[in-house]
Amino acid sequence: MEKEVKVDLKDININYFRPVGAFMTKDVHMKSIILIIWAVMTYGFQFLLKAVADPNDTVQIKLNTGEIVTQVSGKSFLTEMQFLGFPFHYWYSAQFLIAMFIFLCWWYCKFIDKLEKEHA
Amino acid sequence: MNFKRLYQSAFVLAAVLMSSSAFAAVENLNPEGKVKVVPAILMIALLILFVWVGVAAKAKDTEDYWAAGRGIGQIGGGMAIASNWMSAASYLGMAGLIYLKGYFAIAYVLGWTGGYVLLLVLMAGQIRRYGKYTAPDFIGDRYYSTTARLMSALIAILISFVYSVGQYKGIGMMFNWIFGISYETSVFVGTGVVLAYVLISGMLGATKNMQVQYVVIVITFFLPLFFIANKLGYFSAVPQIGYGAALWDIGHGGNGISAAVAEPAYYLPFASYTLYHWIALCVTLMLGTAGLPHVIGRFYVVPKVADARWQVVWGLFCIALVYWSAPAFAAFGKFSNLLGTSGVTIAPDAIVVNAAELAGLPEWFAGFLAAGAISAAFSTVGGLLMAGAAAFAHDIYYRVLRPDATEETKMKVARIGTVLLGVSIIVVALKPPALIAQIVAVAFAMGANTFFPLFLLGIWWSRTTKEAAIAGMVVGLAVTFGSMFIPKDSLLAFYIPFTSSAIIGVPLVLVVMVVVSLMTKEPAQEIKELLYKVHNDV
Repeated sequence: MEKEVKVDLKDININYFRPVGAFMTKDVHMKSIILIIWAVMTYGFQFLLKAVADPNDTVQIKLNTGEIVTQVSGKSFLTEMQFLGFPFHYWYSAQFLIAMFIFLCWWYCKFIDKLEKEHA
Repeated sequence: MNFKRLYQSAFVLAAVLMSSSAFAAVENLNPEGKVKVVPAILMIALLILFVWVGVAAKAKDTEDYWAAGRGIGQIGGGMAIASNWMSAASYLGMAGLIYLKGYFAIAYVLGWTGGYVLLLVLMAGQIRRYGKYTAPDFIGDRYYSTTARLMSALIAILISFVYSVGQYKGIGMMFNWIFGISYETSVFVGTGVVLAYVLISGMLGATKNMQVQYVVIVITFFLPLFFIANKLGYFSAVPQIGYGAALWDIGHGGNGISAAVAEPAYYLPFASYTLYHWIALCVTLMLGTAGLPHVIGRFYVVPKVADARWQVVWGLFCIALVYWSAPAFAAFGKFSNLLGTSGVTIAPDAIVVNAAELAGLPEWFAGFLAAGAISAAFSTVGGLLMAGAAAFAHDIYYRVLRPDATEETKMKVARIGTVLLGVSIIVVALKPPALIAQIVAVAFAMGANTFFPLFLLGIWWSRTTKEAAIAGMVVGLAVTFGSMFIPKDSLLAFYIPFTSSAIIGVPLVLVVMVVVSLMTKEPAQEIKELLYKVHNDV
């Protein structure tokens, strides 16, 4: 259990935003990068679908409250472009994103293995 | 016996909460009551295989029973994670919801895979370094509180309970489809078989079992898909790609579907649901993934921290193989439906099997899927009952009530807990309150609203106090149950749907925990040192 950086255990306060020591600092930095990619690619894309949707192609939806609202159906170049036979957005969400999740996990494992070796 | 009372009250609470009046009866998938011979043989052969594998790797003592001896490799561990994870909700329920709701239900697919990124990056390594048996163990020690330990153990049991209800429904429907016995009888028979093998094999057996079950799940899920794609005239070498064209035809017409009956609402993102609800659902399932005790518990099984992390990668890959395929079943089912194929009793929760029937495949092919669905449900119920029993025997009985209990007594209590839990689930499963994937989503919402914030802050902010943990759990439970009971037509129910309550619940619990922490006395030095170790001891 040799540590490269000796830290005085007297004032250890663990905080994601204020990491202690070189190891944790680098680790947290990488985590943040991965989480940002994860969030933007997954949720950002859904917002994009809404943003680029054809404003003239609307549908009426009945909410649970009984209220009927009109909103865009989401039709846009992203949904009308064919990719591998799919409507593009469907392929992106149902297939590409899952592959990206695996890649992000793989990337992080590679990174942290290397970091642990450097600091062992 | 105190623990009995505790357990009973948790059970009664859950039963009362779940069994309000208006539940629809489950569709009878086999109205003629005829036994389907080949599917029956397939399924019985599989069950014998599982029990045999379980017996061959019988658990020796309590440590084995809970943490499987801590000696499983990366790929093997990944397969175990995957089969433990993939339940009737993945195998049957997910395709069912995609069949009904199209693009909206892709939120299930993403929620149940994307959560692993969070789990890996924020928790897996730290939890393994911490090195205890169960999730409530971590909560009890990190928050230096017996109350927190007890509460989290009860929540763990509740989560197992709700989650299992969905599995029992899947098992019941498949037994009904195969044997022609009624859904209710099927639930009883299925429960007997599940309990028998969990008790015989314990978790060491269960881990081996899970690997076998994973292989069964993948093979049974993949094979029929090639033939369905082929029958319907789509690219069948890789049906996971081939269904894309079917989707296109569903929305635009083509391949026998006229433009008049085409349903663009199936693939358009906001044609039937709102963006808010898509995101609420996806976030809830992702956070729930990182907050489910039986998933977190798998990391204790691994000897090395690096292995714990790599298991996640392998686990996710193994899961993805099935999740890339489920939307294909849904699309093919939908396509046949629009074509007007008739003569099949369709239930959304059985669409995977129905899709094979609709495409005109022989019965034994659909039987493959039914048998696979039962494997999926069994492997998960096994893990859930183990996690529930561990919370009961280890966290409540041993850690709180009888710290002097011997290994033998603990083992016995674990077995009693398994049986009590396994049997009590029947009560609710007989009248399932919703579709399989929706029931399971409630379990995820509960995990997200309670365990996720406690683990997140517990690991990443040493200032979090015991009072905050307790307050967090109370608020989390209140949101989860509140979302089930607010009137369905209220504005509140619009913003907090019962399957997606974590979109409001988790931020709220986090705020409460931070505020309460800052108002109460800082945790002791030992807790901070423990946390430092959890982050740095390589």
